[in-house]
Amino acid sequence: MRKPKASGGIFCHSGFVIPSGFVIRISSFPHMHELSIASGLVEKLLQFTDENPEKKIVEVHLAVGELSHIEEEQLRFCYEAITAETPLAGSALEIEKIDAIVVCPHCSYRGRPKYWDGALSGIPIATLECPNCSNATEATDGEECAIKSIRFTEANSVAK
Amino acid sequence: MITLEAQPDEIYDIELEHSLLEANAKLAKENRTVLDQHGITAIDFMGAIGSGKTTLITKMVERLKDRLGVAVFNGDATTSNDADAIAKQNVPVVQIATINGCHLDANLVGKGLRKIELENLKMIFIENIGNLICPAEFPLGSKARVVVVSVTEGPWMVRKHPHMFLGAEIVVINKIDLAQAMDVSVDQLKNDVHKLKPDIKVIATSTKTGAGLNEFEKALLAVSHGK
Repeated sequence: MRKPKASGGIFCHSGFVIPSGFVIRISSFPHMHELSIASGLVEKLLQFTDENPEKKIVEVHLAVGELSHIEEEQLRFCYEAITAETPLAGSALEIEKIDAIVVCPHCSYRGRPKYWDGALSGIPIATLECPNCSNATEATDGEECAIKSIRFTEANSVAK
Repeated sequence: MITLEAQPDEIYDIELEHSLLEANAKLAKENRTVLDQHGITAIDFMGAIGSGKTTLITKMVERLKDRLGVAVFNGDATTSNDADAIAKQNVPVVQIATINGCHLDANLVGKGLRKIELENLKMIFIENIGNLICPAEFPLGSKARVVVVSVTEGPWMVRKHPHMFLGAEIVVINKIDLAQAMDVSVDQLKNDVHKLKPDIKVIATSTKTGAGLNEFEKALLAVSHGK
């Protein structure tokens, strides 16, 4: 560990001085962002199964916005990986894509965004340029990632 | 509100409106409240590995630290090289090691805020993990987000990572001293950014020649003054 430098310094809430130029380190567990999202999802679902041990979740409906950064395949992969050894194992993930909607504070346009065709050879890119007056719009829909509903069976009603 | 609906084969559905981004968004808001109470402006720097985030932050710290209290939160997957480099400026540095994680989140930044004394600070630069995809989904509580791209990343950086720019307020096109050697047009990169988001501020810089650094400093101070 490096020695704190003499000049400057800030007080830590626990009472001792952290000198300027001295590095405080904080660590976290590994995750990619779909894994973070899937973990949040599974945590919420396990809370449900914990509270309702007689119910078995068979299907989960998600709404994922077009403007969100969430890659469907990666999310599925993470979901399957995390749920493998849990009561959620084998449950299906239904992902509904939510279209982007933008509003323009300049001309009051409200609707689908302007797409940039041919930016790359892949799919068109949604932009925040107003399709009507070319000023900057703001997105009102399409950034979300939410659980819409879950489908379950009563454990004692499941055949076999 | 929960609605139970029986299905013919005894399968039930529950409406469960639950945002998976909300937990982070809520913590980001809490961070922002703490920052606002102390009159601190936090600015989140995002960009690829090697785009020049650390050097740019170091240059801004050099310019600002004698005039106002500056601290730096440095997100890095494993190493402390960047944090150590900035610490040489003799300002408080919090290194947030995500251990191979690809983004900072509001919880980690909140932990950092609780570790340091906020009284005399006016500005906190948060250097996100070098990644142009994941950090966009996780607001941290900053007042503005800066995306740093450099000409050495090639001509298509903006088009390949559009989401990152949609949520940012300032874009820095860095290493413009190398534009000719790289055969990359700074103007085209600027146009690409404006095509995605017409009102975004774009500043072309070189930390080597100093080009654009005055303008960038002004832009950061303008954020701090709420302009």
